[in-house]
Amino acid sequence: MTRFRLWMMLAALSAACCLAGCGGSPKSGPTQGPSFRPLDTTSAVFWDRQITEIGALLHRLADEFNAAHPGLPIKVEYAGDYPDVFRKVSASIQAGVLPAMTVSYENMTAEYIPTGAALDLDLLIKDPKTGLTQAELDDYFPAALQPNRYADFGGKMYSFPLSKSILMLYYNRRVLAKAGLTAPPATWDEFLDQCRKIKAATGKPAHAISVDCSTFDAMVFSRGGDVIRGHETLFDSPQALAVLDFYATLTREGLAYRITPGTYQDNEALGKDEIAFTFRTSASRTDIMLLMQNDKTRWGMARIPQLDPAHPATVLYGPNVTIFNTTEEQKAAAWAFVKWFTSPEITARWAVGTGYLPVRKSALDSPEMKKLFDEWECNRAAFDCLDFARGEPNITGWQQVRDLVVRTLSEVLAGTREPAEAGRLLKQGADEVLARAGRG
Amino acid sequence: MTRMAETFAALPDRLLALLDSLLDRFPRRMGDIPAAVLLTAPALLVLGAFSFTPMVNALTLSLRGGKHGDGAFIGLGNYLDALRSGEFWQSLTVTIYYVLGTIPAMLAFSFLIALVLHRISRARGFFRTLYFLPYVTSVVAAAMVWRSLFNPRGGVFNLLMAWVGVAPQQWLLEPRGMLHLLTGGAVNASIGPSMALCCVMLFDIWHGCGFMIVVFLAGLSSIPREVEESARIDGAGGLRTLWHITLPLLSPTIFFLGVVGVVRAFQAFNSFYALTQGGGNTQDTRNLILYIYSQFYDYGYWGYATAASTMLTLAIVALTALQWRFVGRRVHYS
Repeated sequence: MTRFRLWMMLAALSAACCLAGCGGSPKSGPTQGPSFRPLDTTSAVFWDRQITEIGALLHRLADEFNAAHPGLPIKVEYAGDYPDVFRKVSASIQAGVLPAMTVSYENMTAEYIPTGAALDLDLLIKDPKTGLTQAELDDYFPAALQPNRYADFGGKMYSFPLSKSILMLYYNRRVLAKAGLTAPPATWDEFLDQCRKIKAATGKPAHAISVDCSTFDAMVFSRGGDVIRGHETLFDSPQALAVLDFYATLTREGLAYRITPGTYQDNEALGKDEIAFTFRTSASRTDIMLLMQNDKTRWGMARIPQLDPAHPATVLYGPNVTIFNTTEEQKAAAWAFVKWFTSPEITARWAVGTGYLPVRKSALDSPEMKKLFDEWECNRAAFDCLDFARGEPNITGWQQVRDLVVRTLSEVLAGTREPAEAGRLLKQGADEVLARAGRG
Repeated sequence: MTRMAETFAALPDRLLALLDSLLDRFPRRMGDIPAAVLLTAPALLVLGAFSFTPMVNALTLSLRGGKHGDGAFIGLGNYLDALRSGEFWQSLTVTIYYVLGTIPAMLAFSFLIALVLHRISRARGFFRTLYFLPYVTSVVAAAMVWRSLFNPRGGVFNLLMAWVGVAPQQWLLEPRGMLHLLTGGAVNASIGPSMALCCVMLFDIWHGCGFMIVVFLAGLSSIPREVEESARIDGAGGLRTLWHITLPLLSPTIFFLGVVGVVRAFQAFNSFYALTQGGGNTQDTRNLILYIYSQFYDYGYWGYATAASTMLTLAIVALTALQWRFVGRRVHYS
C-alpha cells in the first residue's frame, strides 16, 4: 500500500508538471475579453519613455493632476525606449498584469489589440458624464486623432493622441555660412547641392544619418509618394526608390555618415558645428537648444525638403496613449488623466516645455503658445507643418516592417545593396511580413 | 536559548533517523529505489518547476500558430516555416561563424596565457587577477565601453588606425565581410563573417578568456611535476614535453572548456545585444538567439520563436553528443 501511494504521488507530481506546462496564457482572445490585473492597486501606473527635462515636466504635470483630482493617483514610471516599452507590455500581457496605460505608437497598439489588452476608447469618449463633447472632439487636430482609429479592428479607437511631433530639418547656420549659404534647402535637389558645397568648403560630411523608418516614410511622403496601399507596401515605387537612391548618393559622395544606432551623435555633431544637417523629431528642439547653449543665432529648424514645395508632405508622429483593460477604477483614472493632459491649457504647456505639438487647435491661441511663436521664428516651423503632415500605417505587422526598412537603409548606406534591388527585396519581404501577420 | 541551539544541532540526526525509519518500511526487494526517489525528490521538484515545466510549455507553444501563443494547433508548421526561412538560416550561419571564430581562439589564447602564468613565479597572483578581471566585469558595462572604442568617429580604435596610417573603419557599423575588406574587394562582401561580427567576437574573446585561464591554471597545477621532469631527463625539449606530456594530460580540461564554450557560444546574447543595440540594423550581427528574441518579443510570434529555440536546443545537444563521441575518445584521464 505504501509503495502504491509513493508511485501514485510521483505520478500525480509528473501529471501536475505536464498540465502546468500545457496551460494556456492568462489573457483573452477577443478584443474586449476579461480584465487584466492592475500592476499597482494603489495607483494608476503610466509607463512612459521620457527622460531629461521632458521627463521631469511629465512628472510635475502628473503631480499637479494628482493634487487636483480625487481617485487613484497617476504614477509615471520610466519603462525604457519605445522598443523596451513594447517588449515590457508584451511580456506583461502574457503575465496577465498590466499598468493602467502606456505610451505607444499605432503599430505597437495594433499588436496589443488582438490580445484583448487595449481598451476600446470609444466607450470612454462617448460616456455622457466623463467623455468628450462633439465640440471638444472637433478641437483635436484630425491628423492627430485619425491614426488612432484602426481599420483592421472595426475602425475603433484603441489609442488616444498624447502629444504629436513632426520630422524636422535641423541646421547649423555657422556651417552653412562656411559654404556661403544663408538658408536651409527647400527641395531635395537643393539639399544635395548644399551638402556638396559644404563638403567642398569644410572637407567634412554635411549630414549625420540616424537610420529610421519614420524618416524614410517622411521622405517618401515629401516626394509625393506613400508607403502602403491597403495591405500592400509600395517600397518599389519611384518615390521610395528615389529615397534609397538619395541615401546611396550621400554615402557614395561622402556627403553624410551614419551614426551608431540608438545614439544622438548627430545632435551632438550639430551642436559642435561639425555638420550642417540632421533630421529629427520636433520634440528634439529643447535638447538641441541645450546643445547650442541657447544661442538661437547658431541654428534653426525648418520643414524637411520637398520634391515640390507647393505640395508639401511629411510624417506626423509622436506618442499616443493606450489604456489597458484592467479594473474600472484604473481605467477611469487613466482616462481622466488623458483627458486632462490633452486639455487646451495642458497640451499647450506641454508643447512649450518640450517641443512636441499640442493636440488641440484651440491651444494655438493660448498665451503660452503665442509667446513661444513670438520668441523665435523657428518655434513656429513645426506647427506650420500640421496642415500637411500625416501618420504612418497602423496595421498589424508594421512593427516588423519598420525593422526591415531600417535594415534595407543600412545595407544601402553600407554599399552592400543597390537601391533598385534593395527596394525590390524590401517590398517582397515587407509584403510577406504583412501577409504572415494577417494570417494571425 | 541553549536548549533551542541543542534542538537545532540535533535536527540533522533526527531527520536522518526519520528518513531511515521511512525507508525501512519499504520492502527489501525494492532495493535502493525508494531511497533514490526520496533523495532526488527535492532536486526533481526544483528542476520540474523551473526547467522541465517551461520546457514542456515551450514545446506545446511551438505547436501553435499565430501571435502571443493563442493561435490554433498547427503541428510542426512552425518548425517547417523556420526551416524555409532565409533569415533563420542566415542567423544560424552568423552563430556558426561566431562559434568557430571565438572558441578555438579563446582556447588557444587562454592556454598560452595560463602556461606563462603557470611558469612565472613573481607577481603570479597579480596577473591572474588582471586576466580574470574582464570576466567578472558586467558584460553590458564592458560592452558600452567597447562601443565607444569602436565608434567610427573619434573612437580609440580609429585613432590608433590613423596613428599607424590606416584608413578609419566603420567597425560595428560595417556589414561587409572581413575577407572582402582584407582582399580589397576580391571576395564577395557577403562571404564570411562581417567586420561588425568580428568586433563582437573580439570583445567576447577578451571578456571570456579570464574564465578559461583560471580553469587551465587549475589543470596545469594538477599535472604531476615528476612526469614532466622525467620527460626532460629523457631528453625531451620544451615543445616535445608540451605536445606529448602537458597537452595530453590537460585534455580533460580542454575537452571540458570546449564543450562548455560551444554551448555558451550558441547561447551568446548579452554581448551581441549590448554592442549592436539589439542585433544591429543588418543581418550580419544577428545570431540565432537574437533572431529568436526578436521573433518572440518584438513581433509576438511566440510559437515560431519557441520552435526555433527548440531546434537550437536540439542542435546544441547533437553537437555536444558529437563532441563526446569523437573528441571525448582522445581525452586522457590518467
